[in-house]
Amino acid sequence: MFYLGIDIGSLSCDAVLIDHEEAILATAVVPTGARNLEAIARVTENVLHKTGIPKKDVKGIVSTGYGRERVQERIGAVTEITCHARGIAALKPEARVLIDIGGQDSKAILLDAEQKVMDFAMNDKCAAGTGRFLEAMARALQVDIDEMANLDLGAQGGLTISSMCTVFAESEVVSLIADGKPVNEIVQGLNRAIATRTLALVKRIVANPAGLPVAMSGGVAHNAGVVRAISAALGGVAVLVPPQPDTVGALGAALIAKEKCESFRG
Amino acid sequence: MMKEYFDSLESGLQSAIAQGKGSPRKTYSLELARLGQRLYSGEHKVAWCGIAAPYDLLNAMEVTSCFVEFIGAMLASTGIVGDFIEATEQIGYSSDSCSYHRAVSGAAMKGLMPKPEFLIGTTCPCSGGLAVIEHLAAHFEKQLFVLHIPQNESREEVRHLAEQMRAMTSFVSKITGVPLDPDKLKSAIGKTNRTREIITQVYALARQVPSPINSKELSNFGIVMALFLGTDAGVTIAETYLEELQKRTQSMGSNPAKEKIRLLWVQNRIQFKNPIENLLEQEYGAKIVIDELNDITWDPIDNGDIYEGLARRSISIPFNGSIQKRITHLQKLAQDYRIDGAINPCNWGCRQGTGARGMIEEGFKAVGIPVLNLEVDCVDPRKFTEGQVKTRIEAFLEMVESRK
Repeated sequence: MFYLGIDIGSLSCDAVLIDHEEAILATAVVPTGARNLEAIARVTENVLHKTGIPKKDVKGIVSTGYGRERVQERIGAVTEITCHARGIAALKPEARVLIDIGGQDSKAILLDAEQKVMDFAMNDKCAAGTGRFLEAMARALQVDIDEMANLDLGAQGGLTISSMCTVFAESEVVSLIADGKPVNEIVQGLNRAIATRTLALVKRIVANPAGLPVAMSGGVAHNAGVVRAISAALGGVAVLVPPQPDTVGALGAALIAKEKCESFRG
Repeated sequence: MMKEYFDSLESGLQSAIAQGKGSPRKTYSLELARLGQRLYSGEHKVAWCGIAAPYDLLNAMEVTSCFVEFIGAMLASTGIVGDFIEATEQIGYSSDSCSYHRAVSGAAMKGLMPKPEFLIGTTCPCSGGLAVIEHLAAHFEKQLFVLHIPQNESREEVRHLAEQMRAMTSFVSKITGVPLDPDKLKSAIGKTNRTREIITQVYALARQVPSPINSKELSNFGIVMALFLGTDAGVTIAETYLEELQKRTQSMGSNPAKEKIRLLWVQNRIQFKNPIENLLEQEYGAKIVIDELNDITWDPIDNGDIYEGLARRSISIPFNGSIQKRITHLQKLAQDYRIDGAINPCNWGCRQGTGARGMIEEGFKAVGIPVLNLEVDCVDPRKFTEGQVKTRIEAFLEMVESRK
C-alpha cells in the first residue's frame, strides 16, 4: 500500500510517495505557478510516473501548505507546521528546533522528545527573510538564485542590510552595488539579515536554544550561505539539513496519510 | 445614515424577538441598537467617554453616554470602516496606530459622530483613547473632564478617584443644568448591583464543563455591559442570558466529548465579519469559553458610599495597573475555566494588545497553557489575511489536540 503527501506552497508544489514501511519511493518538486490545481496534477503524475505505481494503489493522500484545501482527493488537510514536524521527526529524529523557510513563510517549531509540536512562531505580515526575499535580492544582484548559495564565501562581513522589509532591502542592495561593494559582502549581509529574523522567531519559542539540536527544512535550506549565517546567529551550532529539505512537509503529510489510513482500518 | 442603520437594526431585532426567534444575544444587540438610536437621535444629551467612566452615574443623570471605541467597533462590524480610517491619515495619524481610535476620529471628521454635550476622558485603559477624546473635544469645541484612574486600590487612591467622580458630577450638572437626584442615583446603583449579581451567575454557568455558551454569545460582553449599568436594560439583558443558560445546562447534561478544546480569548474580539469562531467550532470542536474582560472584578456598590464603590470598580478593571496584575487575572481565568489554550489577537497598533505580548505568553505558559499570538488589526478588515490567520489557528489547534 502507498501513501502520498502533497505540499502546495506559494512557490513550489512538492510531493512524496511512501510505502507501508514508510520508505520514500519518490519525490517531486514543481513550480506552483498561478494555477495550483495543475501543479497538484503535475506533481502527482510525476511521482507516480517515477515509480510506475498506479493511482488506484495510493490508499491515502494528505495535503498541506497554503493550498492544502485545493487537493480534491485528500483524506485530510493538515497544516505545514504539523507536517514539517512529522517529516523532520522521520529524517532527523534528534532535532528539537526546526526552522522552516519557504517561499513566503518562515517558521520556528519547538519539538518535544516525542517530536510533538510544543510551540511554534511564524512570520507575520511580511515576507522579508523568506524565499521571495532571496529571489528579489538575486534579481537585484543579477545572479541566479542557486548561484547565491556560495557567493558569500570569502566575505569579511562588514555590511549590514535591513532585515525589516524586502523592498527597502532591495533598494539597499542596489545602492551598495552602485557604491562598488563586493558581491560576496552584499550576499553575506543578506544572509545575516535572514538569520537575524530567523533568530528572533527561534527566540520566541525558546529563550535559550543553546544545546538544542536544530534542523532546517524548506527550499531556502538548499542555500548553504543562509544555513551558515543561521548557524552563526545561533552561536555556531551545526544546523541539520536533510538531503531534500523542500520535501519535508510533503513527507510529513505522507506519513500522516499512512497513520490516518491505519487508524481508519483499526 | 447611522440613525437609519440603528432604526433598521432595532426594528429587525424587535420583530425577530416578537416572533419567538429571540436569544440572549439578540436581546443584547437590541439594547445596543437602542443605545445607537439615542446617540444619533439628536434628542438626547450625549457624552463621549473613556472606557473606565462610571456609566451608571451618567445614566442616573440622564446622559446617553458611550465609550468612543464602541463606534469604531460598530463601523467595523458594518464593513464601512475603511474610509474613516483612511481619512485620519490626512490629519497626521500614523497608519500603525490603533484602528478603533482612527475610525472614531475619521467618523468625527466626516460628520458621523453626534455632537456631544461634553466629554469624559479616562486615563485607563490607554492614552490613545484619551488622545482621541481630547481630539473630539477640540473638534466639537466641547468641554472635557478627565478622570485620572489610579493604579492601585489603596484607601487614598480610592478616595482620590471618588473625589474626582464627585467633581465630575458637578461638571456634568453645570453643563446639563440638571442636578443629580440622589434617589435616581440610588435606584441606578440598585440596578447595577442586580446586574452584577446576575452576570456573576451567568459566568459561573459559562465556566462549566461542557460550557453551555457558544464562542460568539459572550463576545465583547463584559466591556459593553458597562454601558448598561444602572439601567433596566442591563438587568433585562443579564436575566435573559441567565434564563437561557440555566435551561441549556439542565438539558445538556454532561458530555465533555461535545467540547474538545476550551479556549480563552485575550482582550477584545475581532470586530468585523471573519470566519474564526465558525472555524473553531465546526472544524475543530473548539470553543471560546471565556474572554479576558468577561469577569466581575468588583464588589457590590454600597449605597452608603457610592462614589468610593464606583472608584473601586474603575480601578479594578484588568487593564488598569501593572501587567503583572493583568497576568494574574488571566491565569485565574485560565484555571477557573479549565482552558486548553489561549488566543491573543495582539491588536495591531494597540499597546495593551502588543506591548505585553511576551509577558502574557510567559504568564500562560507558567500555568501550562499554550498561547497563539496572532497579529490582527481587530477593526480594519483590509489588513486581514484569512489564509494566514487560518493556518496559524489550525496549527495551534493541531498542537493543543496532540498534547491533550
